[in-house]
Amino acid sequence: MPLRLVLEPRQAAAPLRALISLGTALGLAWAFGSLVFALAGAEGLSGIGAAWRAMLQGALGSGYSVSEILVKAAPLTLTGLAVALCCRLNLWNIGAEGQFVCGALASCWVALFMAPGLPPRLLLPVALAAGAAGGAAWAFAPALLKARLGVNEILSTLLLNYVAVLFMEHLYYGPWRDPAGFGFPGTAELPEAVWLPTFFGTRVHLGLGLALALAGALWWLLARTRWGFRARVLGLSPKAAAYAGFRSARITVTAMCLSGALAGLAGAGELLGVQHRVQDGLASGLGFAGIVVAFLARLNLLAVPLAALFLGALLVGADQLQTELRLPGTAVLALEAALLFGALLGEFLAANRLRLVRRGRKEAGHAG
Amino acid sequence: MLAEVFGGMDVQGLASLGQIAVKSSTAVLLAAYGEIVAERAGVLNLGLEGMLLLGALAGFAAGAATGDPLLALGAAACAGALAALLHAYFAVSLGVNQVLSGLALSLLGAGLTGVLGRDLLGAPGLVLGSVPLAALADLPVLGQALFNQPLLTYLALLLAPVLSWTFTSTRLGLLVRACGENASAAYASGVPVRLVRYGCTCFGGALAGLGGVFLSLSYTPGWKEGLSAGQGWIAIAMVIFATWRPLRALCGGLLFGVLTAAQFSFQTQGAELVPVWVLRAAPYLLTIAVLTLVQASARLRRNSGPPANLGRFFHPEG
Amino acid sequence: MQPSETPPLLSCHGLSKRFGAADGIGSVLANDVVDLDLYAGRIHALLGENGAGKSTLMSMLSGWLSPDSGEMRLSGAPLVLRSPAAALRAGIGMVHQRFSLVEALSVAENLALASGGAPDARAAAELAHSFGLALDPRRCVAELSMGERQRLEILKMLALGARILILDEPTSVLAPSEIDALYATLRRLADEGRAVVLITHKLPEIAGAADEVSVLRRGRMVARNIPRDPALPDGWDMAALSGLMVGRELPADGAASRREHGEVVLRVRGLRGQGQPPAFSGIDFEVARGETFAIVGVAGNGQEALAATLGGMTRPASGSVEVLGRAIGPRTGRDLVAYVPEDRHGAATVPDLTLAENLLLSTTGSRGAFFSRRAGARSAAAAIRALGVTASGPEALARELSGGNLQKFILARELAKGAPLLLVEQPTQGLDVLAVSEVHAAIRRAAESTAVLLVTGDPLEALALAGRVAVLFRGRIAGVVEASAPDAFDRVGRLMAGLGVDVSNEGGPAVGGPAAGVVAGGAR
Repeated sequence: MPLRLVLEPRQAAAPLRALISLGTALGLAWAFGSLVFALAGAEGLSGIGAAWRAMLQGALGSGYSVSEILVKAAPLTLTGLAVALCCRLNLWNIGAEGQFVCGALASCWVALFMAPGLPPRLLLPVALAAGAAGGAAWAFAPALLKARLGVNEILSTLLLNYVAVLFMEHLYYGPWRDPAGFGFPGTAELPEAVWLPTFFGTRVHLGLGLALALAGALWWLLARTRWGFRARVLGLSPKAAAYAGFRSARITVTAMCLSGALAGLAGAGELLGVQHRVQDGLASGLGFAGIVVAFLARLNLLAVPLAALFLGALLVGADQLQTELRLPGTAVLALEAALLFGALLGEFLAANRLRLVRRGRKEAGHAG
Repeated sequence: MLAEVFGGMDVQGLASLGQIAVKSSTAVLLAAYGEIVAERAGVLNLGLEGMLLLGALAGFAAGAATGDPLLALGAAACAGALAALLHAYFAVSLGVNQVLSGLALSLLGAGLTGVLGRDLLGAPGLVLGSVPLAALADLPVLGQALFNQPLLTYLALLLAPVLSWTFTSTRLGLLVRACGENASAAYASGVPVRLVRYGCTCFGGALAGLGGVFLSLSYTPGWKEGLSAGQGWIAIAMVIFATWRPLRALCGGLLFGVLTAAQFSFQTQGAELVPVWVLRAAPYLLTIAVLTLVQASARLRRNSGPPANLGRFFHPEG
Repeated sequence: MQPSETPPLLSCHGLSKRFGAADGIGSVLANDVVDLDLYAGRIHALLGENGAGKSTLMSMLSGWLSPDSGEMRLSGAPLVLRSPAAALRAGIGMVHQRFSLVEALSVAENLALASGGAPDARAAAELAHSFGLALDPRRCVAELSMGERQRLEILKMLALGARILILDEPTSVLAPSEIDALYATLRRLADEGRAVVLITHKLPEIAGAADEVSVLRRGRMVARNIPRDPALPDGWDMAALSGLMVGRELPADGAASRREHGEVVLRVRGLRGQGQPPAFSGIDFEVARGETFAIVGVAGNGQEALAATLGGMTRPASGSVEVLGRAIGPRTGRDLVAYVPEDRHGAATVPDLTLAENLLLSTTGSRGAFFSRRAGARSAAAAIRALGVTASGPEALARELSGGNLQKFILARELAKGAPLLLVEQPTQGLDVLAVSEVHAAIRRAAESTAVLLVTGDPLEALALAGRVAVLFRGRIAGVVEASAPDAFDRVGRLMAGLGVDVSNEGGPAVGGPAAGVVAGGAR
């Protein structure tokens, strides 16, 4: 073969790098998705094409489906922010799923058991705050273990996801089960007073506005406040943080709890805005999807809502495929994995240029 | 409380408890060995959970289709190794963030097995049962626990000393350790660092695949979505607990097995003492507790940090 | 010794190496048509400043980089090297400044890694003995001193049959007495028919060891194979070599001026580090305003940990550090110490932040919840002006600055704090000659108004800047030497190597400031 591929580093402008990265992510996801469709029984190229069309139709085909994208984008923005915030500090919060669940449980507890004692006007804010607190509480233990003892937070946050889901199942199969629910596992429907207001007769709820506002607020926190400056320094160089005398352990704990609060808020929003009761399917991978959202946004907090919209469209489209191709719900995980691999490959291609050179010339370079 | 559960237990009960304990540790052990091999060479692979699932499904499908145990094991090992190859390409050749690539692999395993396994849910398949080792199996208590087990459990017990010896006393082990401790020094001495890392990652993937097929053919025969239930993550924690040493991983794995067996025992005899959901959550909580213990105890950590170049990209001209 | 008598063992012609794409911004021509001849039996010194291209040249010779153009010949035959392994097979062995040893492995295992086969302690011991290099094969590399690690590196190369041995800045990690032992070893290896290359930027070092000298400046070879001139005391005209290296005259070093010392600023009492065994213990000394006090030691004798504690980054196990009576620690008294740590690119600055943001790093706690980028930019601009830092402005990223400019920026930032104590750690490591003289001048100016504590591994730097020099050996102060004493350098060198006449006086004697007893300096 006279030609060979050579890689060399490139200095590309930031927007170009983002474009390459995103393009590669989409390209790889498209190729891999096609493969999955073929494996799942789509016949030939036309079958694969039909599957993609079905997905597109499912996501953007009607006003209702577009509104469903917005419904999904609200929690995805929040869990994406949760993951991105931690990553900016060089921390991994893989526990957004568990924090999401705990946030939902905390606000459910407020709505079911504290509601009678609260003035109606306060009910919703308290339920939301409880959600944030629940998520933060679930993140607190891993945060403390990480900051004080250096316990690996990837593992601790991840393992706690399983615990949170088991706890939730215990509650809605046991003590919280709706007595009037004919034995159906799940809590009673929450009183309407705590439902998040919805818009335009769709399921789009106030949580979306909250998520957008929080994206801006979080960006401002990191870029403009002294705490944010310290957090950024800690993320970029722990040694510099020690040199500057920052309280690194405290910043770590605060950031992880903040991250947990965001994920908890996502759970509360999903409960109060969409599901209205705790039941099977409340934790449907929106926490894990936050990882994908954060890295599609390349950890840029202001880009997180856009990435969340995109992934929301993917999720809504994939729902359509479940009926069309009889694909299980987990299929979307494969697409998310392809997006992640694609984003990683894209990062690499954005930093390196592929070039074809004549094999002979390269060897001449070596020898003489 | 413990006395209530274990007090009435006779020798037979103890023997069966021991058998369950050793059996329960198998998948975690195989996956942990695989991770140790990869990490000792410097590659962090958080995709164990995905590789367990892929191995479980591939082995189950091959077993159901052919009825040949060897083919089933081979398919599982190949599936695990192929998945690991994907990670190795991203980690070793492209030098991207290994945590992220591993997480993506875990997602991929869950998603792909969900799609490919939907027609095998609840389908009958091959079962690899216990193979008693002649007279040894008749020994009291220990015989049941150690010598009346499925083949892969024997493999899990034997691999620890074999791997340990390989690391300490062979040239191959020396090369692997050198790549994980100081890749550029190893390269300067003529070690093909990237080849070693590819090899170790794929070998680790094959072991994880075998761990997976143990779950779908021996432990709880049959295919169901997410049957590994976080055992891949527990295996990664086990590697930290074991301070990257196979023999210590064996101890950790057996400890995990004992806890699992105790949990079964509680569920049947002591459910009113401890709520079932707490028992089911116990493996995850105890894993975090063990990780905390390792970090807090200077004695457990002595001379045993992670490989110095773990997760670090090596490029000859970089 | 005429270079033309015998054919060279290794010759290079027209080697060039460029980093970055030829048309790209930021591309550097590290080697520009370089020629070099190496002869068996000779020790060849390759002189050049940091960044002159020495390391690039040697990386090409040892197979780590491939040249863009040019050729190498080994005993007349063309030589193409694609990897370090290939270079080793050709008999070219390189001892990097950063050793390529696996710290977690034993001496025998490191040797086995390089030479093939399974580890064998007895064979390793015999090998070490045969080359006269004393090493215990069972010990873990992490436990070895820098000198022992260097011996192991050399042994590795010899075990592989190296005929050409290249050593990159071999003396930078050694105590003066270890340097003599190294030179003796190198002479013996050359006499056995090997070619030895010493890469260095320190002129005094070549006088003791080299047979011939080449000088590299900005990627070009400006002088080749100049033989030793027996008529000159040092073997070469050092001023001329220095001129070749730098390309222009250096500003003359101002001698440390004699000043009256003011009140005691820094008081260190019974300081003992964390860990078992502690990195340092029994540290007592005082530094007065207007005085420069140096702590010098070979790397690994505890000065890194000591500097971190003195700078307030870590807490001591026991003892106290006080500046003007106030304790220094992670949460207290940080504004009293202007601290320039050794790690310029990771601790003193964050490479990915701007200079304005980096300026705010060590000047925290002054304002409320918001951080003012405008104030940071103003102060950064002032710092840039104060020491003549070459940077595009306050919005330049720290990573874009050269080592010397970054160090000047850090110094300016710390000096602007107006703290009573300036603590500088390894201030000139890795800087080029001009930057070194500028940094030294800035430290001298600072010493006029503050107390200065210098922690360094370089005895020459310590003696050039400080009035008193304390030598740290195995975590204890082995002795304190008055810099003006006529035999100060020898005495510091002996103490650094642990041959201290003063070891019996561990700890205490440095107390009492300039007026108190100076242990080893009899010249008062």
